[in-house]
Amino acid sequence: MACRGVVKRFHHYEHRTTSLREFFIRSVLRRPIHVRRARFTLRGLDLRVEHGESVALIGSNGSGKSTALRLIAGIYQPSEGVIETRGALAAVIELGAGFHPELTGTENAELYASVMGLSRAEVTERLPEIVAFADIGDFIREPVKYYSSGMQARLAFAVAVCVRPDILLLDEVLAVGDQSFRERCLERLRAFRAGGGTMIVVSHDFETVRELCPRAVWLHHGLVRMDGEFDAVFAAYRAEHG
Amino acid sequence: MGVIARESPPVRVNAAGRSAPLADVWRYRGMLRSLVVRNLKVKYQRSALGFVWTFLNPLLTVGILAAVFSRVVRIPIPDYWAFLVSGYFTWNFMQQMLSTGTYVIAEHTGLRRSVAFPNEVLVLSAAVSRLVEFAIELAFVLVALVLLHHHGVPASYALVPLLVALQVVLAVGLVLPLATVSVFYSDVQHALPIALMMLFYVSPVFYPTTLVPSAFQAVYYLNPLAGLLTLFHVVLYEGRFPSGALLGGTAAGAAVIFALGYVVFNRYKALFAEVV
Repeated sequence: MACRGVVKRFHHYEHRTTSLREFFIRSVLRRPIHVRRARFTLRGLDLRVEHGESVALIGSNGSGKSTALRLIAGIYQPSEGVIETRGALAAVIELGAGFHPELTGTENAELYASVMGLSRAEVTERLPEIVAFADIGDFIREPVKYYSSGMQARLAFAVAVCVRPDILLLDEVLAVGDQSFRERCLERLRAFRAGGGTMIVVSHDFETVRELCPRAVWLHHGLVRMDGEFDAVFAAYRAEHG
Repeated sequence: MGVIARESPPVRVNAAGRSAPLADVWRYRGMLRSLVVRNLKVKYQRSALGFVWTFLNPLLTVGILAAVFSRVVRIPIPDYWAFLVSGYFTWNFMQQMLSTGTYVIAEHTGLRRSVAFPNEVLVLSAAVSRLVEFAIELAFVLVALVLLHHHGVPASYALVPLLVALQVVLAVGLVLPLATVSVFYSDVQHALPIALMMLFYVSPVFYPTTLVPSAFQAVYYLNPLAGLLTLFHVVLYEGRFPSGALLGGTAAGAAVIFALGYVVFNRYKALFAEVV
C-alpha cells in the first residue's frame, strides 16, 4: 500500500444568500452567491506500508487519521496524489453502519459480505464461519434492530475478518464487545498478521495497538509528524499531548 | 490448515479524479442481487397482503380513471380499460423510479461510509427491484388483454421485451442526474412531486397521443415518456407493430438521456461520500 503526495480538501460553502429575493439581486449584480472555502484534512501524505506490515495511525482528533483510512479504502477520492493498494481490502469503519434494521443478522451478514465484493458462492461458503465468529446465539435469526450495539459490532467485525482480505483497515473498532470477544478479535488479528496480512489501525486504545503494531505513524494536522517504531513514536506523541 | 491461493492480486489505484469504469459495476453483480433481494424482503415482510398492495394501488387508480374517462369525460376509445392498463403500469414504474430511486444515494449513507463500492449499483438496485414487481404486473396485464380484449395473442407482443428494456434504460437515465442533484440540493424533494404531477398530465397515460392537436405533436414528443407510452399503447392495446420512426425515435431518445445522465452522475459521484 502506498500513498504518494495525497492531499484531501473538503469544501464547505458559505452562503451569502438567505432569501430568494437576495439570490436574484445577487445574480443580477453578479455578486458571489456563495463562497467556496477549502479545508485541508490531509496536506500531502506520503506513506508506504509493505506487504505483511502492521501500522498504527495515531494523532489527536481531527488530525486526519480516519480520512486517511477512508482514502485508502477508496471511499473518498483524493484531491491530489495517488494511492496504490495491492490485493483485496476490507475496511472496518463505523461498525455496522451499513446494516438494515429490519433484516436478520444472517441476511445483513450476507448483504455486507456481498457489498465487500464476495461472490454469492463465497458468501454461502463463509456464512457459517461468520455466524460462529460473531457468536451471538439465536439473535442471528432476529432483525438487527433488536441487537445491542455490542452485538452489532460483533457481527460487523465477524463479516470483515471472514472476507479474508489482504489488507485490513480498522478504525476505532478494537474497543467493541466484552472481554472475551475482544480476546477473540485480538487472537484473530494476530493470526491475520501471522498469515502475512497487512493491517492499518486507527485507535486510541494504545495498549492494544502496541501489541498489534510494531510501527506507528503520528499524524498531526494532516501531515506525517513522525514515523517509526511504535514505542518511540508513542513516547514523542505522549510528551506533546500529555 | 487451508491455504488461500491467490494469483498476483491486482493493483488498485485510487487517484485524484479517477472514476470507476462500467466494468466495475459488473464485478459487483453479487451485491446488486443482494440489494434487490433485501429491497423486496424489507418491503414485503410483516405485510399480510404483501404484493397485493403493490398491485392494488395502480389497479384502484386505473378503476377510477376508467370510470371517469369513459362515463363522465368521454374519451372516444373502444375498450377504454384496455387502453388504460396498457400504459398505466409503465407510468407507475416511471413515477416510482423517479420518486424513490432519486434518494437511493442518501438512503445508503451508512453503507457508503463504511465500504467502497460503485454508486451506480445503488441506482441499478432500485431499478431492478421495481422491474421485478413490474414484470409480475405486466404478466397480469398481458393475460387480461389477450383474454378480454384481443381474444388471441397479437404478433406485436414479440416486441414487449424490447419495450421493457427501453423503459428501464429511460428510467435509469432520468434517475441518474436527479439522484446526483438530490445529493447536493434538498430542493429536489420539494420540486419532484410537483414535476411528477405535471408529467402525469402531459404524458399519454389516460388519453391517446392521437388526441393531441397535430400542431403540438412535435413539441409533445419532447417529453421522453410520450414516445414510450405511445409504443406501449400501439403494441399492447392496438396489437400493431409501431412505425420505425416511433420506435427508433424513442430508442434514440432513451439512449441520449441515459448517456447524458451517466455523464452527470459520473462527474459528481466522487463527491457523494463527502456530502451524505
